[in-house]
Amino acid sequence: MRIQVIMPQMGESIAEGTVVTWLKKVDELVAKDEPLVAISTDKVDVEIPSPASGVLTQIVVQEGVTALVGAVLAYIGEASHAGAVPPDRPVVERQEGVQAAAPTAEAAAPATHWYSPAVLNLAKEHGVDLTQVRGTGTDGRVAKKDLLNFIALRAQMAVTPPRAPLEPLAHAAEEQILPISSMRKAIAEHMIRSKQTAPHVTQIHEVDMTAIDSFRHSHHEALLKQTGITLTFLPFVVKAAADGLRAYPLMNASYTGEGIIVKHAVNIGIAVALEEGLIVPVLREADKKSFLTLAKQLTDLAARAREKRLSLEEVHQGTFTVNNFGAVGTLIGTPIIVQPEAAILGFGKVVKRPVVVDDAITIRSMAYLCLSFDHRLIDGAYASAFLNHVQATLERFDFSIVR
Amino acid sequence: MGVQQPTPDELLNIYYFLKLTRGLEQRVITLYRQGKIVGGVYLGTGEEAIAVGSAVALEPDDVIAPTHRDLGANLLKGITPKEYMAQYLAKQTGLTRGRDGNVHFGDITRGIIGFISPMADLLPVAAGVGLAFKLRHERRVVAAFFGDGASSRGDFHEALNLAAVLKLPVIFICHNNQYAYSTPLSHQMAIEHVADRANAYGMPGIIVDGNDVLAVRDAVSLAAARARTGEGPSLVEGKTMRMRGHAEHDDASYVPPALLEEWRRRDPIDRFVAYLWDQKVLDDASAKAIDDRIAGEIEEAVLFAESSPLPDAKDLLDGVYAS
Amino acid sequence: MEITYLEAIRQALWEEMDRDERVFMLGEDIGVYGGAFKVTKGFLDKFGPERVIDTPLSESGFVGAAIGAAIMGMRPVVEMQFADFIACAFDQIVNMAAKHHYRTGEPVPLVIRAPYGGGIHAGPFHSQCPEAWFFHVAGLKLVAPSTPADAKGLLKAAIRDPNPVIYFEHKYLYRHIKGDVPEGDTIVPIGQAEVKRQGSTVSVITYGAMLQHSLAAAERLMPEGIDLEVVDLRTLQPLDMATIAASVKKTGRAMVVHEAQKTGGIGGEIAARIVEELFHYLDAPIARVAPPHIPIPFSPVLEEAYLPNTETIASKARELASF
Repeated sequence: MRIQVIMPQMGESIAEGTVVTWLKKVDELVAKDEPLVAISTDKVDVEIPSPASGVLTQIVVQEGVTALVGAVLAYIGEASHAGAVPPDRPVVERQEGVQAAAPTAEAAAPATHWYSPAVLNLAKEHGVDLTQVRGTGTDGRVAKKDLLNFIALRAQMAVTPPRAPLEPLAHAAEEQILPISSMRKAIAEHMIRSKQTAPHVTQIHEVDMTAIDSFRHSHHEALLKQTGITLTFLPFVVKAAADGLRAYPLMNASYTGEGIIVKHAVNIGIAVALEEGLIVPVLREADKKSFLTLAKQLTDLAARAREKRLSLEEVHQGTFTVNNFGAVGTLIGTPIIVQPEAAILGFGKVVKRPVVVDDAITIRSMAYLCLSFDHRLIDGAYASAFLNHVQATLERFDFSIVR
Repeated sequence: MGVQQPTPDELLNIYYFLKLTRGLEQRVITLYRQGKIVGGVYLGTGEEAIAVGSAVALEPDDVIAPTHRDLGANLLKGITPKEYMAQYLAKQTGLTRGRDGNVHFGDITRGIIGFISPMADLLPVAAGVGLAFKLRHERRVVAAFFGDGASSRGDFHEALNLAAVLKLPVIFICHNNQYAYSTPLSHQMAIEHVADRANAYGMPGIIVDGNDVLAVRDAVSLAAARARTGEGPSLVEGKTMRMRGHAEHDDASYVPPALLEEWRRRDPIDRFVAYLWDQKVLDDASAKAIDDRIAGEIEEAVLFAESSPLPDAKDLLDGVYAS
Repeated sequence: MEITYLEAIRQALWEEMDRDERVFMLGEDIGVYGGAFKVTKGFLDKFGPERVIDTPLSESGFVGAAIGAAIMGMRPVVEMQFADFIACAFDQIVNMAAKHHYRTGEPVPLVIRAPYGGGIHAGPFHSQCPEAWFFHVAGLKLVAPSTPADAKGLLKAAIRDPNPVIYFEHKYLYRHIKGDVPEGDTIVPIGQAEVKRQGSTVSVITYGAMLQHSLAAAERLMPEGIDLEVVDLRTLQPLDMATIAASVKKTGRAMVVHEAQKTGGIGGEIAARIVEELFHYLDAPIARVAPPHIPIPFSPVLEEAYLPNTETIASKARELASF
């Protein structure tokens, strides 16, 4: 009897992972839940705990090799088991920029082969071979949500068809060819897909940040001393966005074949720049958190994102994204929506400028709110209304909550 | 207060309905034995005077809550022989369009509350009819019929009590025909007269010869007058005999033949005919005229029923709720 | 306007009595005493003894009378002192009232108010939930509101309905819950369930006092990532399968919660219909949370063990969510 060790799905839209280190050797004993292998994905690095107690009888995917989610990485047999078994399914090699083959993800054999009527029905409707789907229900059965996840994943992977490999260029001294990391690849794939899926429109509103700016100046020292938080513009923007999302729920939705899915939870992703690219940690239930908690968590998330120390939960299930490109000096941007969300709010640099207020010229701290939205489900008027709401929240911010 | 004596026309009217009742029911027996009737057959043979005598004592807008042995009262309220026959043959043209059988019918537009099988169930319902009259200040009364057997049920006692306490315009009319299916009076109650129960509830209980149609008429007229003036309910007990089985599938062999013979000699229709001859209201010619007319109506009714369509099963689910 | 459940019932009765002179009330102790639960306090003074009738202790009698009055076009509202005593009038309800329209085409616009349910340590004869007894009988409508707004709107609808309606009012809810009731003459239509809480994980189908417990369970489960959708039936017969179906199609997981006992309770009927009509949408077996098949015990410890509560409901929902 042998148990399969499977490449897990570590976050939505993750389709593959790379084996970094095997923590056990072949024929070594391993206990259930003991760390067995370290893998790396675009979002997180994790150790996979062993699904069973026994002996690691065969390693199928070696270190440095990338495999698709659901692929068999190794087998665990009973303690007395010996002898290698040849690998069953092809695994993807990712070393010379070769495109991934069509998905042949191998699923764990479910403990029961029982499928509920809903699962059978959906599988038939979508042409899914249920033996390919991994189950997380009771006794490992394939529950409806497992099947739905599989269908979504399959749809994502189907968007970009395999292309022929690029012809290598003649090497000239003035050029350098950089290898494409998996993160870069993932970003590229996502950006293309996002633009191909959602018709993007960017609308820009100007917001007067003077009140907030002055509050920051007058309170930041006391707050730092009291709470250890350095108060930036970001928590104000996130809070205003969260409030705006509650009032304009279509901004917190997804356009799908089954209809426009309006999500109840407000999970705001924050774009964080990394050396090699970017990552979007998610602040869950942003609308339900107090201002100070929000501020604290934002700082913490950004820090851990840079250190690649985020957990699975923290890169999962975002419903809206905020991109604080103003922090690095950009005035106006046209951000790309993070799929499958409906919109992304860019916040530009806060700059002191002469503006007209009550027919007189005065100096105010101004910034641009740049909202890119998916025109399939949101129209301009709605987007403007949302922006007006965010703008109003920021310009008339209720500072009593910053305590 | 006396009761106005019937005019000759009224007497002939009574004669007509007594004979129509008897004739229709006799015809049903034949049809039943020919296998043309659906379900059971319940007749009021020998008790026609109670039904007819009571009905003629009422006003046109009074209501009746009849039993299965009150065909004569139903006919007087406007049920036609055709409808009656079609009802027995379970046809679409019957009074319940095949939804219920034999004498389980009613029509409030003709002042008849639909009879149902559990005995005495209609007595509280009749009290409720009287309550409606009282609340609306109408001078109408309701005649509620029942048998000796029904007077053992709780609903009988609750209805009498309610009607008496609330002073409702109800006339409770008992066919004491001495048998409830195979249960004789001696096994049905420990008292002799159903009318004695009336006093226990605070209303007058009047005993009449149930086979004397005019005596029944008189008693019910007095009770109706009482009710109409707001004095409340009364109970009229007509002493009679069930001349046939409980239903036509019951040969009633448990009834002593001597008892039946005794009551055959007191047949209500024979007695009334003799009275009419005596009063010179009826003679051969006039009797024949009415009898022929009745025979024609019965034949017509049978033809109508036999040629009527059966109900359409596609309507099966309709009409559970009123809209 | 925020009022108690009891006050909502009172208002509905008062407004309907005011609006339509055909509406009248009967029952034990409803007049002088104002009703065992004081629902009808003040009605006698305002509407008089003709329209607020204190009846003798005879459920079969006065329910039968109400039926008779209804057939005659009145709009009686009967108060059973406790739903448990409706058994005494069972025959009149199921044999007379329920079948009348189907048989005769005549409406019976009757309302029977039945104070039901436990949680007040009143023992087996003052705590029953007898909905299922009547669910089985064609021709009746059954409603069971859970909030003051529904209580008022449904009672108005019941009084205006031409069919016999049994209105189950939960005696624990009388003074224990308050809610917003819309101003003016607002009707809640009979035959329409309402989603009282939108959700996505499990459909909880319920009614009566169990609504409050189901909503509390939903709050308890939110932090655990389980998002219950709570469907309040409001009407038991006719059942709103369309609303139930929409919910089950969405969640794929269904559970029925009611205070009436599980065995033979209407939860079984609902589960059967879901399996019959929505099999292909089910991702988990259908569950029922309802008391065991025993007479309702009296001592508080026993009654508590008997009744479903927020935790037993939440626990079953957890099971379904992780199936």
